[in-house]
Amino acid sequence: MSRPAFSPEGVTFGVCLVTLGVLGTLANLGRVELLPLLRTWWPLALVLWGVLELVDLWVRRSSRGEVVK
Amino acid sequence: MTARKIALLVLIVGFAATVETAWHVRGDVKIGPEGCRVMGGRFYGPSWAFEAAAERAVAAGKAPRLEVENAFGEVSVVAGAPGAVKVRLRKVVFQPTEEKARAFAERIELRLTGDGERVRVGTNRDEIGRRDETGFETHFEIEAPPETVVEIRNEHGRVELSGVAAADVAASFDGVSIERVAGMVKLEARHGDVGVHGIGGALELNSRHGSVSVSGVTGASRLDVQHGNLEVLRSAGLEVDLAHGELEAESIGGDFVVRGQHAPVRGFDVVGRAHVETSFGDVRLERVGGELYARVQHGGVTGSDVTGGANIEVTHDGVTLERVAGPVEAVVQHGGVEARGLARGARIRVSGSDVTLDGFSGPIDLEVDRGSARLAPGSPLDGEIVARSTHGDVRLEVPEGSRFELEAESVRGRVDAPLEGLTAEDEGHRGQRASGRHAGGGVSVRLKADGDVILESRPVRSRDAWAVAPPRTGGKPTAEAPAVARSPTPKATPRPTPLPAPPAEAPAATPRPPQATPDRTSTKR
Repeated sequence: MSRPAFSPEGVTFGVCLVTLGVLGTLANLGRVELLPLLRTWWPLALVLWGVLELVDLWVRRSSRGEVVK
Repeated sequence: MTARKIALLVLIVGFAATVETAWHVRGDVKIGPEGCRVMGGRFYGPSWAFEAAAERAVAAGKAPRLEVENAFGEVSVVAGAPGAVKVRLRKVVFQPTEEKARAFAERIELRLTGDGERVRVGTNRDEIGRRDETGFETHFEIEAPPETVVEIRNEHGRVELSGVAAADVAASFDGVSIERVAGMVKLEARHGDVGVHGIGGALELNSRHGSVSVSGVTGASRLDVQHGNLEVLRSAGLEVDLAHGELEAESIGGDFVVRGQHAPVRGFDVVGRAHVETSFGDVRLERVGGELYARVQHGGVTGSDVTGGANIEVTHDGVTLERVAGPVEAVVQHGGVEARGLARGARIRVSGSDVTLDGFSGPIDLEVDRGSARLAPGSPLDGEIVARSTHGDVRLEVPEGSRFELEAESVRGRVDAPLEGLTAEDEGHRGQRASGRHAGGGVSVRLKADGDVILESRPVRSRDAWAVAPPRTGGKPTAEAPAVARSPTPKATPRPTPLPAPPAEAPAATPRPPQATPDRTSTKR
C-alpha cells in the first residue's frame, strides 16, 4: 500500500487553526470584527478541504498509474 | 470515509452553526452594541472622541431651571457666568476605525432646548441608540449661572455638581458628588458612592448600594441609605433610615433620629435629642444635648455626657452610661448596666448580668434577675433606693452624711450592715433581715437579694467628677465654605476652562487611538 503524500483533513485543520488564531489576534487589536468575518467566510474551510481531497485523489491515481507501468 | 474525516466535517459544521447562532442571538436579543462590549454598564473597546458645544441665553435676574438627561456618560455642572448656559458635549463612539466613528458621531446631536427660564440639555440617543447598535457615550460639561435650579437624570455615568442654587439629581449606576449648593438638594442614587458637601438648604437623600459622605448641611438632612456606610459631619437636624451599613455622625445641630437595621450607630456632639432604633450593631452616643432614646436588639448602648434623660431598651448586650444629667430608664435583657454619674436617679430592669451604679444622685429603682447590684452614690442619699436581686447580691456603699431608713432582706445569705442605728435579725435557719434608722432616719432604702446584702460606709466624692460636658458645636456650615469631610470624595470636582462662543454644533474631531487591549482596558477613563 502506497503512503499518501499528505492528509487533506490534517492540512485543512491546521490551516483553519492558523486562520482562526490570526483573525482572533486582529480582532483583539481592533483591526477586524470577528463575528461577521467568520460568519461570511467559514465555508472556505469546506472549499479548501474539498480541493485538497481532489488533489490527494489525483496524486494517488497518478501514483497508481506509475506503479502499473 | 475515515473517522478523521467525519470528525473534521462535524467540527466545521458545528463551528459554523455556533457562529451562525451567535450572530442571530446577538441580533435578536440585543445583548450589546456592535464593535464593543458592555460590562458593568460601561463600553469597552476601541473608541474615538469628538466634541460639540452650544450655549443658550437665560433671563437675567431670574432663577433659571436647567434639566439635563443622559444615559451613558458623565454629567458635570459648575457655576458659570450669569445670563447663559454653556454646554460642551464630548461624544465617545466605540467603533473599530476613526472613519466609522466620525460618521456615527456626526449623527449624535447635542440638543439644547427651552426658553429663557427653562433649559433642557440632552441628545438624540433614543432615536439612534437602539437602531444602530453602536456603543457611544455622551459626556456633558455644563456651566450655568449660580442662581440656576438644576435637575439631572443620568443612568450610566458619574454626576458632579457644584455652585448652583438648588439641585434634584437621580443617578443609577455611578457615583455622585454635589458641592456648594445654596438651597435644597434632593438626590437619589442607586449604585455608587455619594458625596454631598456644603449645602445651604435641606438635604433629602436616597441611596442604595454605595457609601455616603455628607458634610456641611445648613438645613435638615433626611437620609435613606441601604447597603452602604454613612458618614455625616456638621449638619442641622439629621433623620436617617439605614440598613446594612454603619453610621457615624458628628456635630449635629438639631435632633439626631436613626432607624436602622443591621446598623451600628455612632453619634458625637448632638445638640438636640438622640433617638436611635437599630439591631445587630452597637450604639455609641457622646455629648447629647437632649434626651437619649435608644432601642437596640442584639447590640449594646454606650452613652456619655447626656444633658437630658436616657430611655434605653437593649437585648443581648449591655448598657454603659457616663454623666447623664436627667433621669434614666433602662431595660436590658441578657446584658448588664454599668453607669457612672447619673445625676437624677434611675429606674433599671436587668436580666442575665450585673448592674453597677457609681456616683449617682436621686432615686433608684432597680431589679436584677440573675445578677448582682452594686450601688455607690456620689453624695449623701437624697432619694428613695429600692434594689432587688434574684440569684445575686446587693451592695450599697453609703456616703458619709447620709440619713435613711433601712429595710434589708437576704433570702439565702446574710445582711451585713455595720452602720449606726441598724440592727440585724436571723430569718430561721436561712436568710437574714436588717432594719433601722441611720443618723436619725431620712429617705427610704429597701434592699432585697437572694444572696448577700451588704452596706458599707464610704467618703463623699466631689460632684465635679460627674459634670456633664455639653455638645461641642463646630463652625456653622455654609454653602460657600463647605466643611471638609474626613473621608475623601471619590473624585475632585472638575473646573473646566471657560468655553469659547461656539456655533450651534461644531464637531471637532479629537480622535483617541484604539486601545491595544480592549478586553482589559476601559477607554472611558
